[in-house]
Amino acid sequence: MDAFQGLMSGFQVAFSLQGLLFVFIGVFVGTFIGMMPGLGPISAIAIMIPITYTMDPTVALVMMAGVYYGAIFGGSSSSILLNAPGVAGTVATSFDGYPMAQQGKAGKALAIAAIASFTGGTVSVILLMLFTPVLSAVAVSFGPAEYFALMFMGLTAIASLSDGSTIKAFISATLGFIVVTIGIDSQTGTSRFTFGNANLLEGIDFLVIALGLFALAEVCTLVLNRKDDSMNNNKDLGSLRISKQDLKEMSGPMTRQSFLGFIIGVLPGAGATIASFIAYITEKKIAKNPDEFGKGSVKGLAAPETANNAATSGAFVPLLSLGIPGSGTTAVLLGAFLVLGVQPGPLLIQDRPEIFWGIIASMYVGNIFLLVLNLPLIPYIAKVLRIPRPLLISLVIIFSLIGVYAISFNTFDLYLLVAFGVIGFLMRMFSFPPAPFILAFILGGMMEQALRQTLTISNGSFGIFLDKPIALTLIIVSVITMLVPLFTKKKKANVEKNIDESV
Amino acid sequence: MFYLSFYQKEVKEMLKKMNQRIALILAAIAVFYLFLSYNLPKYPNAIIDADVVPIGLGYLLLFLSVLLFLDKTVETEAEKQKRNISKSNLLVLGVVFGFILIYISLLEILGFLLMTAIFIFGCSLFLGYKKHVTNGIVSVVFSFAIYALFNYLLRINLPSGILPF
Repeated sequence: MDAFQGLMSGFQVAFSLQGLLFVFIGVFVGTFIGMMPGLGPISAIAIMIPITYTMDPTVALVMMAGVYYGAIFGGSSSSILLNAPGVAGTVATSFDGYPMAQQGKAGKALAIAAIASFTGGTVSVILLMLFTPVLSAVAVSFGPAEYFALMFMGLTAIASLSDGSTIKAFISATLGFIVVTIGIDSQTGTSRFTFGNANLLEGIDFLVIALGLFALAEVCTLVLNRKDDSMNNNKDLGSLRISKQDLKEMSGPMTRQSFLGFIIGVLPGAGATIASFIAYITEKKIAKNPDEFGKGSVKGLAAPETANNAATSGAFVPLLSLGIPGSGTTAVLLGAFLVLGVQPGPLLIQDRPEIFWGIIASMYVGNIFLLVLNLPLIPYIAKVLRIPRPLLISLVIIFSLIGVYAISFNTFDLYLLVAFGVIGFLMRMFSFPPAPFILAFILGGMMEQALRQTLTISNGSFGIFLDKPIALTLIIVSVITMLVPLFTKKKKANVEKNIDESV
Repeated sequence: MFYLSFYQKEVKEMLKKMNQRIALILAAIAVFYLFLSYNLPKYPNAIIDADVVPIGLGYLLLFLSVLLFLDKTVETEAEKQKRNISKSNLLVLGVVFGFILIYISLLEILGFLLMTAIFIFGCSLFLGYKKHVTNGIVSVVFSFAIYALFNYLLRINLPSGILPF
């Protein structure tokens, strides 16, 4: 099936009544959850997974993709209205979005964000459509050695690029990998670290980790900040109208950042957060009057909004073509694929074209939904932010518990969920980033399998990696990315300082 | 000025200790994990046995905890703030987790509907939600809606418990 035919069949899925309905539900729920300060796309996806258990995989995944980019979009609304980003990828949005809202132009800021997101989202979906089949074609020839190297690169990249201490990020990744070794070893049947507990034989389900480490731990933060009543301010949004002058000003950053954001999104470990910061910094550098940045600049708002949405689609490239997630969020999305019995990777395009093209086509539709949902409905959506925190906390807890119970029907897993909630909270308290943990947990099993297959082929010799040019290159690149942050700490601190100054 | 620098020094010392304490705990976990890994049953025909990767991970964690122990970076103000939780807040968190544990232990006995409604009402009340009528309506309607969604639409049976449906 060629790309055009594929896309047409994808649109058949996306435009079917069911497709439209579930894209809408996904985008809506994603926006809703993403808006809640503290709740990010990982929680949004994890909370929605149980609902997909009995659904048709194509429709379910189309919905989950909608949840993902909807959550990024929702995060920007709370960044603008409350200066409280719901999602790390929208922190840069608040730099100029919040000052604009304070000037009484919240409506205009939201409208700019909506248009910038739409542009970034749509341009990057086109790129996604062009890139993924190419990469898939290359990846078909990959053996276990290349796969191991790829996953190794993804893991080192996310650890090196996460903010804060690099050592802590690597510890977080190692712990994630250690947790996934619990259970029966798939190759020899040895039961590892189960302490004789039958419930642990199958290993710990990834939903326990995702909901514990993210949703429950984020609930703890909500509990601590429950008295923060910034959500109750009933500010006037002002007009949503954007002038021609504004559009002209936005067009430059939107074009540039759609491409740049997409490329950064494709890279392992980077993603929406880094894309939005880089977008903000580059646009500030090339702007004619950089002083406006941080005081409600149209460009300063459009740039990160375009970039984070473009990066969101970019992150789908390695996920769909290689089956390897490059970020914590896409790792949970991979989990959602696997729950439904769909293995993303180079064979997805051939084996399940309806899923592959369905997701891509639905992203065009989803972006339009986002625009429609967000422009006229902005004043109503803003009211969502006024849900009383105590209720919100109770509901998120219940959603997390149901999510785990509905997959295992076992209260043992619920106790595990609570344990991981506590671990996730402690990690946040002591500044260990949780994203490398979940990525390592998802990749760990696959990595171990790939490594052992590789070493079995070579009869136990690590020399096999020297004979595989692609694998060797990837491993060398990973080692370099691992070592670089240790030497460039000062530079990183400077960049952060720059950002601080520009706020 | 003098006081300030003295204070800063003290804080630095304390934080350094905090990272080092965490490093010690992690090292202990690594050693325990290594001990378990070395004691995994051997499978004679495997070229790469089930213990290879865990042993590697154990040493990696040990190495990283040594690095963390020796790490001289000082926590930023924001990082420090994250750790600063008042006793009363900690108590509130503890009670919420207590509620969750009670919920889990009674879920299969009393059933999803009853427990969920009680949990949402009780937890929201405890966290300071004063509109009792709204709270009551939300907890009941939400429990019913989720129960209906899972049991009838998705065909995933949540425990019915003592209620007949």
